[in-house]
Amino acid sequence: MLETDKLTKKFKDTVAVNNVSLELKKGESVGLLGPNGAGKSTAIAMISTLLKPSSGDVRLHGKSVLKEPGDMRRVLGVVPQKIALYEELSAYENLKFFGRLYGLSGNKLEQRIDYVLDLVGLADRKKELVKHYSGGMQRRVNLAAAMMHEPEVLIMDEPTVGIDPQSRNHLLETIRRLNHEEGMTVLYTSHYMEEVEKLCDRVYIMDHGKVIAEGTKEELKAILSDQETVWIEFDQSYPELFKKLSEIEGVQHTDAEERSLKLIIPKGMRLLASLFHEAERHGAQVTNVHVQTPTLEDVFLRLTGRTLRD
Amino acid sequence: MGAFLIKDIMLLLRDRYELMILLAMPFLLIAILGFSLRGIFSGDLEALEMDLALVAEDNEAQGIEAVQSSIDEMNLPPENAQALKRAAESASPHAMLLSLLNSEGIRDLVAIEQMGREQAEESLEAQRVDAVVILPEGFTQSALNNMLLGASGGAELELLAADGSSSKSEVLASILEEFVRNVNFESSISRLSGAGDPVEISGGIETITAQEPITSFQYYTVGMAVMFVLFVGSAVARQANLEQRQMVFERIRLSNRPPLLYLSSKAIAAASIVLVQLLLLFGLSMLLFQTFEADSGTFWLGIALISIVLAFSVGCLAAFMVALTLKVESDAVPAIFSAGVISLMAFVGGSFVPLDGMPESIRAIGNWTPNGAALSAYFSWMLDPDIRQLTGPLSRICLVGLVFLAAALAIFPRKGGAA
Ligand SMILES: Nc1ncnc2c1ncn2[C@@H]1O[C@H](COP(=O)(O)OP(=O)(O)O)[C@@H](O)[C@H]1O
Ligand SMILES: [Mg+2]
Repeated sequence: MLETDKLTKKFKDTVAVNNVSLELKKGESVGLLGPNGAGKSTAIAMISTLLKPSSGDVRLHGKSVLKEPGDMRRVLGVVPQKIALYEELSAYENLKFFGRLYGLSGNKLEQRIDYVLDLVGLADRKKELVKHYSGGMQRRVNLAAAMMHEPEVLIMDEPTVGIDPQSRNHLLETIRRLNHEEGMTVLYTSHYMEEVEKLCDRVYIMDHGKVIAEGTKEELKAILSDQETVWIEFDQSYPELFKKLSEIEGVQHTDAEERSLKLIIPKGMRLLASLFHEAERHGAQVTNVHVQTPTLEDVFLRLTGRTLRD
Repeated sequence: MGAFLIKDIMLLLRDRYELMILLAMPFLLIAILGFSLRGIFSGDLEALEMDLALVAEDNEAQGIEAVQSSIDEMNLPPENAQALKRAAESASPHAMLLSLLNSEGIRDLVAIEQMGREQAEESLEAQRVDAVVILPEGFTQSALNNMLLGASGGAELELLAADGSSSKSEVLASILEEFVRNVNFESSISRLSGAGDPVEISGGIETITAQEPITSFQYYTVGMAVMFVLFVGSAVARQANLEQRQMVFERIRLSNRPPLLYLSSKAIAAASIVLVQLLLLFGLSMLLFQTFEADSGTFWLGIALISIVLAFSVGCLAAFMVALTLKVESDAVPAIFSAGVISLMAFVGGSFVPLDGMPESIRAIGNWTPNGAALSAYFSWMLDPDIRQLTGPLSRICLVGLVFLAAALAIFPRKGGAA
């Protein structure tokens, strides 16, 4: 129902978004994954008609929305990266204001406010000023405000940045429910691959303004079909042993933590023999070993040589 | 529109910092300036207290006698002659001047000391007295001759005033003028009963306080009010900037409401706030400092009219500032405005010091600031509630408002499209 065609945005010296073509089908949940500065927010601003593209097009049901943004704006619920709320007003007052902007009034308005507050689990604290909320609660109201006019498509720009795990889970669960149970089409932007993995059917991976990979989660992970991630835990920290292990021939990437070590190795490589041999030589005890399935994080690492969080 | 307005006004009411600037500050300044600068305005009577030396070179009794004997020589019917003689005693101008200076309203203002001419001149020189009034020799006789017998060539008073006390000597001059008018009045009454043609009675007897010049509290209530309404422009523009930075503005754009609705709501919110602000400032000043008399409906109607026009103009100014703030995407606009431009406008508009002594160019600019024009409208209404005197300043305020409005519309993005 919604697509972008070679969407491009140039700022003075940067190409923030470079020939990005995305597609959202009705009822789908699509992830836009990329590190900070990848161009996700810029792309979303153009899709939601807030920013004029340098070139390319945004279409809703096959019709360009650049000249006549009205239809698109009615259909979209946009959750911006920032908390786009009046801090000095309560959650209730914010929702009332935004609801009235969309022409709601009277009973219908009150009902809708109750519904969205319930949705984000803030019904009992709706009278408090937004500035007194925790970051997580603010994020939830931020979502509620985008839901006031019963949008068909929900576009979220990193809605979980800087919030506590509890609020984060609540939010993710809410979004999942909206998508699964109410058939809401979702475009979810994040640099947290776990979120995208959990929520989205299909994923676009962006870096430096370009889409560098796209597909279902399985399709993307197939990129890593020739690799394995091995995770080893020891009884205590052995820096020298960790160094030795990372130097074993064939090991492509290591990530050491306090008592554990993550190794990315080619599929079929016989690591365990040398692992136990070295451990014994350092007097170390292996407490746990398992081979992980690759994550989207690993996909990104493979594609760009960097982690999403850098 | 309602949604925008309620929200804008609610936000302002919750902003303690803005409320301080919009209400507490001007009120504080009214109090401070009103008290400390009492005296530079002619309406502040205490400041006009003066010491007056009265030099009587005239012998009153002799003068009256002389007039009475010339009445005897006129061969009038005995009753008439008797009446005129009595009038000569009771209407003695010397006594009348003393009783005028002792009358209520003036008594508190003027302290009189009788002395000889030399001593009086010395005292004036040494600034022990502010002015000297001299009744020259033959004053009583020639004044009575003029008053009762219609002889030409009236008596003259001499007024000597020290330099630099112009407002005081002005007051004194008007007292003496009053006196002369009084004397004329007496004379016409006296002559009605006597011989000669009655002269026209000129007006009633006015007292000096009936003119009600501006007091320092009135001056600064108006001065601060017209200055601090300008801060509403900053407050509203700052709010717009916050909306833009916090991306609430984006959300408003997403609702696909006509952007002009947003702008006009800001203007109307600003105008309403200005009206409330003016109401509170004038009201509080009246209650606490007795700045104005509460009882005249017409007076307040005029004040309300000026306030509404001023509110309209500031609303337009606010719209312009909002448009500019959104355009440059920075709160520098309201910051610069409240830090510098307002003070400048307030100064040339006469909020701090009366513009009487200013160069013509500054007064001309001041006349074209909404605050300056409103200030002169308020004062002219206070001094003389004549609606015709308001058309000039009020149309200037409107015109300036319209210019701001046009500028606001020119720079505000009106299309709803992606921008
Ligand atoms: N208004 C702007 N002016 C200039 N450069 C910008 C602007 N907005 C974003 N950029 C640049 O475009 C790139 C992409 O930014 P953004 O879309 O915010 O990335 P993301 O949301 O993925 O973190 C960044 O390099 C950023 O500095
Ligand atoms: Mg972003």
